[in-house]
Amino acid sequence: MRLFRLLAVCAAALLAIAPAAAQVVTSPGPDSVSVTIYREPDRSPTAEIDLDWLTGYALVTEKRTVSIPAGRGVIRFEGVAGGILPESAIVTGLPAGVREKNLDADLLAPASLYAHYVGRPVTIRRTLKGKSVEERAIIRSGPGGAAILQTREGFIAASCGPSQDDIIYDSVPEGLTAKPTLSVETDSPRAGKVTLTLSYLAWNFDWQANYVATMRPGGRTADLLAWVTLANGDVTSFAEAETMVVAGKLNREDSERQEGPEGRPLQVTCFPRPLPVQMEMRGRVAPAPMAPPMVESAMAEDIGNIVVTGARMAKQEELGDLKLYRIPDATTVASMSQKQVMMFDRKAVPVDILYRARVSGDEADEVRIALRAQNRKEKGLGLPLPAGKVAIFEPLGERRLLVGEASLADKAVNEEVELEIADATQVAATVEQGEEGRDWADQILTVTNANPHPVRFEAEFQRDDDYRLTRMSKRLGRHNGHDVWAVTVPANGTATLRYRKVDVD
Amino acid sequence: MRLTALILAAVPCAAHAQTAPESAPGEKTAQGDVAVTIYNNDLALIQDKRMLALPAGRTRQEFADVSAAIRPETVTLSAANTAIVEQNFDFDLLTPQKLMDKAVGQSVTLVKTNPETGAETSESARVLANNGGTIVQVGNRIEVLNGSRRVVFGSLPPNLRARPTLSVTLDSSSAGTRPATLNYLSTGFGWKADYVALFDESAGKIDVQGWITLTNTTGTSFANASTLLVAGAPGSGSGSQARYGYNPSRSIPGNRPGTETAPREQFGDFYVYPLKERTTIANAQQKQVGFLDVAAVPAGKAYFYRNGWLSASDEAKSADTVLRFSSSSQGGLGDALPAGTVRVYMRDARGQPQFIGESNIGHTPMGSRLALKTGEAFDVKVQPTVVKRERLGADRWRTTMHYKFTNARAQAVTVEFAQAGLDSWWDDTRIESESLKSERTNADEALWKVAVPANGEAGLDAVFITRF
Repeated sequence: MRLFRLLAVCAAALLAIAPAAAQVVTSPGPDSVSVTIYREPDRSPTAEIDLDWLTGYALVTEKRTVSIPAGRGVIRFEGVAGGILPESAIVTGLPAGVREKNLDADLLAPASLYAHYVGRPVTIRRTLKGKSVEERAIIRSGPGGAAILQTREGFIAASCGPSQDDIIYDSVPEGLTAKPTLSVETDSPRAGKVTLTLSYLAWNFDWQANYVATMRPGGRTADLLAWVTLANGDVTSFAEAETMVVAGKLNREDSERQEGPEGRPLQVTCFPRPLPVQMEMRGRVAPAPMAPPMVESAMAEDIGNIVVTGARMAKQEELGDLKLYRIPDATTVASMSQKQVMMFDRKAVPVDILYRARVSGDEADEVRIALRAQNRKEKGLGLPLPAGKVAIFEPLGERRLLVGEASLADKAVNEEVELEIADATQVAATVEQGEEGRDWADQILTVTNANPHPVRFEAEFQRDDDYRLTRMSKRLGRHNGHDVWAVTVPANGTATLRYRKVDVD
Repeated sequence: MRLTALILAAVPCAAHAQTAPESAPGEKTAQGDVAVTIYNNDLALIQDKRMLALPAGRTRQEFADVSAAIRPETVTLSAANTAIVEQNFDFDLLTPQKLMDKAVGQSVTLVKTNPETGAETSESARVLANNGGTIVQVGNRIEVLNGSRRVVFGSLPPNLRARPTLSVTLDSSSAGTRPATLNYLSTGFGWKADYVALFDESAGKIDVQGWITLTNTTGTSFANASTLLVAGAPGSGSGSQARYGYNPSRSIPGNRPGTETAPREQFGDFYVYPLKERTTIANAQQKQVGFLDVAAVPAGKAYFYRNGWLSASDEAKSADTVLRFSSSSQGGLGDALPAGTVRVYMRDARGQPQFIGESNIGHTPMGSRLALKTGEAFDVKVQPTVVKRERLGADRWRTTMHYKFTNARAQAVTVEFAQAGLDSWWDDTRIESESLKSERTNADEALWKVAVPANGEAGLDAVFITRF
């Protein structure tokens, strides 16, 4: 009976430690969730998604049912994304609104546990050759590099003698949490069950479009398949989530991904010792094993699942000046995974394959093979094309061979799409000098084609303030602000353009 | 068995029951009535009113639970009938090395444990020196400590501490308990504003909520503190800007500082934002408290593109999407806005708010006009090209530019297009001809307002006479 009473007193004492009178309600997880993934703002279309360090982000919107108490109440949200940007959290649906929002990030870690016990009693366990002795002690030094304890015999430095000394704590101090935890305080006139919406931005997501173009025989049309490739590098999975991605570039101010709060290990040092013994001791005096920091431990595992689904197709909507793609039914955006959902599939889109070279005065660059298409309805497309990589395949008998890879910036409807897909090997352009005068020189641009079929070739002249190009032997066109010579080079033949380069003084 | 379980359960309780010489969170703090004033520049003023029981005459008082990031030189203490003799801030922290250093010339106990029996034998030793190794004298033998024995110190040196400690020596003219006010500055505190703006494009309105976001990285928790936030960075000196003061979107046309006074408490040039209720600012905590909530404020969207001098592009580039609204009491947010980040949301086809971009703002007086870049428009693009460059003289050029504007949206838009770089040290540049009347907004820039039809395009031609 006496023991029982002691326990009751003890429980009351423990309760009294909880802050203020506010009642704490924990919401373990969402009832439903929707995830909108945004591309990393500064990743160029050519760059791959870095699955180990995702710096795109997501807007996570969760519906949660919570029983709120009357009066002051604290609602703790568990199961939010680890990469949460707490300042972006919005909570709606509370009858009395939100008094304050808090993110507590004082993590339970060896160093913080030790720090909270400074000046308080702990148990020290000394292990020597497999045998342990325990005794009570009081921590007398801060966590900055030492553990000095007061025992019944005097003051000792932990693990600085022959034994391995471990500190055993009695309980977890109030305020230390396993994960950073978001909570809101509310002051409701009555108790009851409410459904509230929690939304926040979080790092550690990314997405891009991926295009697969398969040339049809004849090389005049291609089948174009577009995928949404999205990745979740967070420790949290979003089960049965309504999933969306947003195309277009958003302004972000904190465009550097921040490391989340980390728990620190406890470093223990000792007084200096003569070298040989210290070497021998090292194994035992080494600092306590590092608490694996949350983010890193998560990233250490490779992104395991790559899921490809083709049956459903993302639906495009307008969102202000951005494009939103909604995956039609709920899907699981699993932690550490990449997922692909089809965006569109267009057959026999007319494309032009041409050879191009940039020409600056008396020099021609490498000739490259380019694919040009018009993003117009009447040309089989007419869709917003979000930035991403394009792989171009060509059938060779039964096989499909990769003929080139390129990347695409965001392209709006009615824009021209031009992709440089490979370096040419059978078509070359050279510039030779002919007659010259005091401030001029005649140039001869020759394009050679070793293919057994004619090819289309375009020379794009680069503008320069130091010279003018005159006396063109052929008529030039204009394209994207450049003078362009467009010509069909016959099979196994050549084409020639003559012009004069005149210096501008 | 049952008894064992009960005893085990009682152990944590027993631990709590023991007295804690220094505080820990969850335990009672030594802080008194705390008032915290937080500035934008990693600075806070802390006022801590404690009850001090002082005897008459000189005493040394230690102040536990002051901020671990205290600036000790700023401490002042005031109490009735009390004079300060001296203030000390001891930051010599207790480490094994220092403990051994201070034990030089004194006696310690060396304990040897028999690994087989567990029996302990101790002997007394005198520490002779601690230079790269500890030399001790045991009886009449001189040894170097090698870790085979446990060193037990009889006491701790008085000036070595677990954490930096503030102590004040006071001279009291009378005995008794009285309130004492401790004032000091601390780093490790900061705050900014975070705004949530829900934009309804078709109605041309925004709803804005403002939150004060404060962070405590001092290493110390402050319980039940009366909190005041100052929108400013005192002491940052001339020329330097508040932490969130730099704002690249200022260069977007449509920003203009206001001239209205907000209905808020002012302190010098700064607005102050008191928190309505006392709050606990825990260590490593980020706390948000609302301060602004306005609905249906007129707002509009605009498109802007700035082209650098002679900048041409092989691909059309997206124009910036700009959100414009006012902080005026007439048709605006009706408040002064502390520096921070505005996050803009818009409802999608199903009515769910989606994030569409964010922008930082500086401290913004009431009555200001704001133009914030939220992102780039997918469908509204500009492609500038250099048509012709003609040399007119040694440092005279005629440049013919063509700008193509495309709009894949189903609504007509107007793009505000600025050609920059017209004033590169010289101001004798001019526009010889243009297909649309421009506005010279400043020496460096000409601005055109180009109407682009729905699902269509528009062109702009301009000929510039410049030095380069």
